[in-house]
Amino acid sequence: MILEALEREGVEIIFGYPGGANLPIYQRLPAHPKLKHVLVRHEQGAAHMADGYARATGRPGVAMATSGPGALNMVTGLATAFMDSVPMIAITGQVASRTVGTDAFQESDVIGCTQSVTKHNYLVTKADDIPRIMAEAFHIATTGRPGPVLIDVCKDAQQAEGEWEYTSCSALPGYRPAFEPDAESAKKAIELLAQAKRPVILAGHGVILSHAEEELLEVAERSGTPVGTTLLGVGAFPTRHPLALHMTGFMGTGWNIKAVQNADVLMMVGMRVDDRVTAKLSEWAPKAEHFIHVDIDASEMGKNVRPHLEVVGDAKRSLTAMLPHVQPPPADRGNWLNQIDLWREEHPLKYSKSNGHLQPQDVLIDMYRRCRDEAIVVADVGQNQIWAALWWNYTKPGLFINSGGSGTMGFALPAAIGAKMGRPDKDVWCVAGEGGFVMTAQELSVAVEHQVGVKIVLLNNFSLGMVRQFQDDFYGGVRSQVDLTQMPDFLKLAEAYGLPARRVHRVEEIGPAFDEAQKAPGPFLIDFRIDPEANVYPIVPLGKGLNDFWELPNGA
Amino acid sequence: MVHDRLRVLAVTVENHPGVMSRVSGLIRRRGFNIQTITVGPSTVEGRSRMTLTVDAGYAEVDQVAKQLDRLIEVISVEDITEGPTVKRELVIVRLETVPPVVEQFGARKVGDRIVELTADTEVIEDFIEFLKPYGIQELARTGPVAMRRSA
Repeated sequence: MILEALEREGVEIIFGYPGGANLPIYQRLPAHPKLKHVLVRHEQGAAHMADGYARATGRPGVAMATSGPGALNMVTGLATAFMDSVPMIAITGQVASRTVGTDAFQESDVIGCTQSVTKHNYLVTKADDIPRIMAEAFHIATTGRPGPVLIDVCKDAQQAEGEWEYTSCSALPGYRPAFEPDAESAKKAIELLAQAKRPVILAGHGVILSHAEEELLEVAERSGTPVGTTLLGVGAFPTRHPLALHMTGFMGTGWNIKAVQNADVLMMVGMRVDDRVTAKLSEWAPKAEHFIHVDIDASEMGKNVRPHLEVVGDAKRSLTAMLPHVQPPPADRGNWLNQIDLWREEHPLKYSKSNGHLQPQDVLIDMYRRCRDEAIVVADVGQNQIWAALWWNYTKPGLFINSGGSGTMGFALPAAIGAKMGRPDKDVWCVAGEGGFVMTAQELSVAVEHQVGVKIVLLNNFSLGMVRQFQDDFYGGVRSQVDLTQMPDFLKLAEAYGLPARRVHRVEEIGPAFDEAQKAPGPFLIDFRIDPEANVYPIVPLGKGLNDFWELPNGA
Repeated sequence: MVHDRLRVLAVTVENHPGVMSRVSGLIRRRGFNIQTITVGPSTVEGRSRMTLTVDAGYAEVDQVAKQLDRLIEVISVEDITEGPTVKRELVIVRLETVPPVVEQFGARKVGDRIVELTADTEVIEDFIEFLKPYGIQELARTGPVAMRRSA
């Protein structure tokens, strides 16, 4: 019945791992040839693949695992999806209902363990409940603010035979996502924006999730309002647009930070306003007289920043409701935009080019030249993630995938595999540091087995670069436990897994390596030996306000 | 709007196993200052009514209410602090000796050396103070339940 329900919900791929407590499901799997099952090599990989699949396709990803350790191995992946509002269905086996609570073999309290990292979870003890719960789970995971839903199914419930009716779910008494915004609030938001001298819009993941990028562009262009994005919002607004402020926050661009810190009206759309956006909260946007917060989740209103105006609704519908009221910008808007242009010139993105080492930015710039706006970039966590966010010109939404909220190292490779399986028509690039890469490197087997053409760009600096930078910059230069000199030879590792690979030391080797990677039909790994001292700039020192942002030191 | 005092939330939830755990888990991980939670069945089959008293300012209570409302099994959350409410709590106390005048509090004897009182939390506190000299051997309180005085 579980598999039938998945088929009914249009699922194509399951990323999973069998075990004692989900054997009945796997026994029936061959009878469902429409469901492609991808055998992962670790359950965390299943969760990240389902996550990457969901982010790349907009359809819910499905991950499956057995009880106890199998389910617990997925917890990090669930937390990653939960923090970034990714629609996902996780199905875990549980021991037989009569033995639940007896510390049976491979029993864990999966409901308890995953309560805080799922949008909702269910324990199924009776087969009769399966159709209703499966339908509810899909409804909850994919509507409103999306998120992962876990279904923990007791083994005896999986085994029951019988006929079931499956009806998809469209309403639940305790679940009423706020799609439609209050029209008055939407109108008021535009009025506040129109009256502003120095307005700024910040766009988050919500804009991408609700496909509101066109409405955002129209509001911005017609009202003459500059737009920045969060890390997860990268791509929601074209990076090279004259009104673009690029990425905001504590590793955001200098001109974005300047604009936010000087804005008198700030409209946040589809974002949580978290600490990586604000840095020191009391010093964030000090000149803002009005905060307008647009989000589908009412609990985000006032969680971190208390808005003067709340627009609770889906980003697309909220921006659509604003559009009829948009006025052309006032005559003096040019002053504000000119000021931002000045800041853009004064604080450009810079990187060190003179020390003879291969710079990660050289790699990313070359990559972008080849792929333009079509490829999907899946970044891991750390310096590689910020470089990939800043040094690639995203002009469309959904082409940059990363673990923004949770910051899960090891995310990129399995998520890229999931993304490529969901979007075989797209080039998918996995950008990772060597630290995160080895955390889930076993999934290379999956890429090889299914010939998933993921191209792995390993930015290898033989250290935990971001932590090393924090230690250098903010912890008295004490380098503690960040050295990763002892790592496998990645060419041999690739060979062992059965995929081609190449190593790059110098700038002139970048092009030929990419040529080879792009020609390879299946997965390909490039081990880029980058400058071990390369840092991320701008950066705001931990605990400081945005105004204190550091840039690349002169002469570096 | 009153900003800093005890606020009362009336919460309707689905009567499923584990709902209390979801509510209390949420309160713990978000670090909310909840003073009391009571729960009992409602008149609707499969639904329970909870009363929460929250010791915090309006902004935090607003977050408590919104975060609770995100839970799928929470049907409704209402802040009933504003306006007149009826708030009652029950206490039962086993005493060494029963004082002769418990009736002046509206309390009554319900067994051998056991008295009970249903009243406002403040009156309950006064009553317990009054009883202390008589030797409290055991005491059980329900925590308050509440509703609006007019519908």
